[in-house]
Amino acid sequence: MAEDTFLGDDFLRQLMSVGEVDLLVAIPTFNNAETVGQTIQAIEESYQQNFIRDRVVILNVDGGSTDKTPEIVCQSDGHRGTGRGITSLRTVHRVTSKYAESPSPAKALRTVVAAADLLRAKAGAVVSPNTVNLEASWIANLLRPAYRQDFDYVAPLYVRNKYQGLLARNLLYPMARAVFGRQIREVYSDEWAFSGRLAAECLAQNIWNDEAIRARPEAWMAITGIRSNMKCCQSFLGPKVAPAPGTGPDIVEAVRQTIGNLFRCLEIYQDDWLAIDGSQAVPTFGPDHEITSAPKPAGQEKVFDLFRSGVDGLKSVLPSILGPDTYTKIQDIASLEPAKFRFPMELWVTTLYEFAAAYHRTVIARDHIVQALVPIYRGSLYSFFLEHADSSPDQIEVDSEILCGEFERQKPYLVERWKAKS
Amino acid sequence: MKDMIVQGLQQAYQNMVRMLAEFLPRLVVMLVIILVGVLVAYGLKYLLRALLHLTKLDRLSEEAGASRMLRMAALPSMTEVLSRSVFWITVLGFVLIGISVLGVAGLQDQISRLLLLLPEIVVAIVILFLGLVIANFLSRAALLAAVNAGYASPTLLSWSIRFVIWILAISMALEELGVARQTVIAAFSIVFGALMLGLAIAFGLGGKDLARHFLERNLGDRKRGGTDEPQPL
Repeated sequence: MAEDTFLGDDFLRQLMSVGEVDLLVAIPTFNNAETVGQTIQAIEESYQQNFIRDRVVILNVDGGSTDKTPEIVCQSDGHRGTGRGITSLRTVHRVTSKYAESPSPAKALRTVVAAADLLRAKAGAVVSPNTVNLEASWIANLLRPAYRQDFDYVAPLYVRNKYQGLLARNLLYPMARAVFGRQIREVYSDEWAFSGRLAAECLAQNIWNDEAIRARPEAWMAITGIRSNMKCCQSFLGPKVAPAPGTGPDIVEAVRQTIGNLFRCLEIYQDDWLAIDGSQAVPTFGPDHEITSAPKPAGQEKVFDLFRSGVDGLKSVLPSILGPDTYTKIQDIASLEPAKFRFPMELWVTTLYEFAAAYHRTVIARDHIVQALVPIYRGSLYSFFLEHADSSPDQIEVDSEILCGEFERQKPYLVERWKAKS
Repeated sequence: MKDMIVQGLQQAYQNMVRMLAEFLPRLVVMLVIILVGVLVAYGLKYLLRALLHLTKLDRLSEEAGASRMLRMAALPSMTEVLSRSVFWITVLGFVLIGISVLGVAGLQDQISRLLLLLPEIVVAIVILFLGLVIANFLSRAALLAAVNAGYASPTLLSWSIRFVIWILAISMALEELGVARQTVIAAFSIVFGALMLGLAIAFGLGGKDLARHFLERNLGDRKRGGTDEPQPL
């Protein structure tokens, strides 16, 4: 088996002692000693409350923690039996593996998927120890559709404030929806679930070392499920708490990781999406996602400054990526007064599609193309701040849907630019 | 008198015939050498082109920005440039060998010198081209990192890097040709710059993310003054 080559002997021994399982929940960690105990507790409670007859395992994949995170995973008592007096009828196994000396999302996920395949797990979920409000119900909401209703990919739905996750709401979701034709909001997520079938499908592919896939392999797995016509759904979890300052990726890193990944997926699966027209809703379990109000974020003018100086600073780079009309329009809006600034929706979509096509044609180094999108995204972000300063969550929802429609309307333009490769 | 003239003419005629008898075989040999050279050059060109297609050099060249520079200079793809260069260098080499077979006095020394210089010219061109590609790639990487970090003078930083690499590449090419050695010796004074460049390349390739974080945290915050951008994901 392929997994024999990258799984350590000790890890394989642990997996063999577990035998076959029905469910697996994985926690990728790196120096999460403070929060991992709480995550383990939520998983055990979920097993005890919802899957008492099933064979289950908790899998920790560690990226070289120096704060004894794996030891805490093994030692954590797990508060057995506290779940409303119900105790699991089976042993809740815990397995840990140090997959590398430094964190690597792709290596971590590949280890998880290989373990799920070896244990013949029917369903698996991945949760993040950084999610401080993880509850037992979240685990059950993720696992149930994959385990009991044969879904292959389960995406989370959250309650978010209106300024949270704007990269996902204004770019990743509408573009992935228009391209791949499925209305899944959170393809880039910390919590999600998969079936044994999807695990086996992804494990068989030799793309885990691809530079653009490595940083966000979970999105590639989701898109693999979509393009393979596997059953996909969304499941409501709860409020998404923003990570503590300095712990999550900043804008530049987030754009490089996610947009680079999305553009690469466009290329990998181009034979599947070029002919897709429109998009389909997927089944949703629990309430739909929710947007709440929030105070205006500070430092908005600085965001505009960075947009304007970025467009000016990249005048030797942007013309090789964008068409002449689009570049001229970007320059025009960059010269507007901050208070009058608007980034028209049509221009935003055209710009993104031209970036995607430039990535495909490799007009310059691909990572440079993705990085050149950062100032443009900042312009769109500032425009969102101005347009939605007083918007209600409902209004934002309506506008978000209009944006998705614009992405779908302009998709033929993307196809045209994409195929124009000489 | 008449006999002397006739004898002179006969002598001249015989000399000319003898020279022609000596020269014509050499000319034929030269033409054969050139013909063989053209055939060998064609063979090498197609072989190299196939090899470069296999190694996907054009894709690498696109990613490094070299293809864009070639397009700007109205040149074909990298594979085509290299295979055509090999063709013409081979043809030139065989032509020079062929000319040397003619045995024209004085010409052989010049040809020998040219032949000896040929590999050095090729190496110098390769050095210049690689310098151009590396300068372009690294200066753009620096520009993007500086722009996204909100650094005050990203273009200046980018051009500084480009300029230093150009200087280094030109110095190396001149040294290879043996031209202006004094200049090269003077350029040795910028060895510190070259050393720093080597470190920058090693740092950039080995830890590009670390380098980007370093730039953003140490240079970006100076201008941004703690911009509180909302969490993107």
